[in-house]
Amino acid sequence: MNAAVRGFEAIGRRSAGFFDQVGYGSTLLAASIYWLLVGWRRRQPVRIRMIFHEMQQIGVAALPIATLLSGTIGLMLAIQSLYSLGLFGAEAYAYIGIALSVAREFSPLIMAILVAGRSGSAIAARLATMTINQEVDALQVMGINPVRYLVSPVVVALALMLPCLAMWANLVSEFTAGFYVSAALNSSFGAFVNDSLTVLKTGDIWHGIGKATLFGVLIALVAVVNGSTVSGGAEGVGKVTTLSVVQSICMIVVADMLFAYIATR
Amino acid sequence: MTSAESQREALHHIAALRAESTAQRPTETELMARPKVVEVDHLDFSFGSRQVLYDINLDVRAGEIMVIMGGSGSGKTTLLRHLVGLMPPQPGKVKLLNKDMGSLKPNELLDLKRKIGVAFQFGALFSSMTVAENVKLPLRELTDLGEKTMDIMANLKLEVVNLSGFGGLMPAALSGGMVKRASIARAIVMDPKLLFLDEPSSGLDPVVSSALDDLILKLREAMDISVVVVSHDIDSAFKIADRITVLDQGHILAIERVEAIRNSTNERVQNLLNRRSVEAEVDPAEYLRRLTGD
Repeated sequence: MNAAVRGFEAIGRRSAGFFDQVGYGSTLLAASIYWLLVGWRRRQPVRIRMIFHEMQQIGVAALPIATLLSGTIGLMLAIQSLYSLGLFGAEAYAYIGIALSVAREFSPLIMAILVAGRSGSAIAARLATMTINQEVDALQVMGINPVRYLVSPVVVALALMLPCLAMWANLVSEFTAGFYVSAALNSSFGAFVNDSLTVLKTGDIWHGIGKATLFGVLIALVAVVNGSTVSGGAEGVGKVTTLSVVQSICMIVVADMLFAYIATR
Repeated sequence: MTSAESQREALHHIAALRAESTAQRPTETELMARPKVVEVDHLDFSFGSRQVLYDINLDVRAGEIMVIMGGSGSGKTTLLRHLVGLMPPQPGKVKLLNKDMGSLKPNELLDLKRKIGVAFQFGALFSSMTVAENVKLPLRELTDLGEKTMDIMANLKLEVVNLSGFGGLMPAALSGGMVKRASIARAIVMDPKLLFLDEPSSGLDPVVSSALDDLILKLREAMDISVVVVSHDIDSAFKIADRITVLDQGHILAIERVEAIRNSTNERVQNLLNRRSVEAEVDPAEYLRRLTGD
């Protein structure tokens, strides 16, 4: 009986903690948008320089690993598509599955997971360290709003760079898949590209871009919420960094499913 | 203030700092005739069920150095966090430069914060920026000054705290005393009217600590600012303070001038000055219950 009560208590506490974090994240998002829109009128604009710096760190610096991952995903999809469609003698239609799954699903999802692990963890660790070292307090007493200075640039950079990375992943995956499929089927690479472009609609591309933007905002908020609620010194920094990656990936997958459900109805 | 005026003023500060400090402590009458720059009225504060501050009332006068002294856990840092606006008063009132911090609009609060400088106990320098970038940060974010002018201003403030030539280093490359001085340089870069220093001499050797005391005295003289220092360093407090506030377990025991504190008949004040620990009376049964958790 006692164990059951304790179990319910734990579930209740965790649920309350979750909603608490969701509320805090929503407040941070609203404050970020507020500072972006009216910061210049309050003599505290969100600095373009800071946004570009974050974009460089999150997007440009991730290009090599993004290229490697998306190229591999393209090859893997081509191999699996040829195998599964080959069971029905329909290898020639592999381009349909590859083009649609890459643009609508794989590019935004894989890039989001990559960025959550690479940049989300770095943002959470940086904010947590700054919180512990009283750097965030220092900003506040100087009259510099921490959300404007630390959060808004990260939210904007992630919301802009994740779609860019997803678009780049589209190109690379299509290229490697096309290369493999055309070699396997003895057809031309140009024909694969042409067929893919025929099957892809503008809506499919927007579907991927929309998802990537949503994932970018989610990664930013999860990282910032975890980073700014740190406690317990160096060990705490490690914990929130790990937690940030785990929560980001969970939220990305759940949001992906919800987005796909809503967008396809 | 134009950049030329800022530079002129900073040069004036440096000249004043290089001169020997000749200022005497103001008399009680002189001090009390000055306007209040900090006012705390009936401030209470609790962390959950644990009360940390009990009915705090104090004021700081223009040009005064007020040292808030007390042992570990006496509530000094919590009080400082209220004074600099990091914690909202609940209940109670904190007024800086005649403005009630609890009732200010965001723009007014921003203007007020430009007039105060805070140096934290461990410096709170941004580890990803050089020392000069740290000092320039408030200028970069809160003013429209050009890069060249900001460079000059930062170098001048670093000169004031004897860190000229160290601007290009990262904070990790500085000694403890240098970090404290860099933090003070950042705190004074906007030429504040009020300077708050959290444990400026903690972790420093007596020579460096004494030099920092001299710097605080000279800053007050050269920049005509009021300084609130939170410290548990008794020697330092006696050297720099005009008045000392003694905090004990969240209560104010005394707000007096240095001599009055030195000659205080209050047992708890004397315990603090003579570094005597007070053995709390413990009920053995309660003690046992605490240990066993029953």
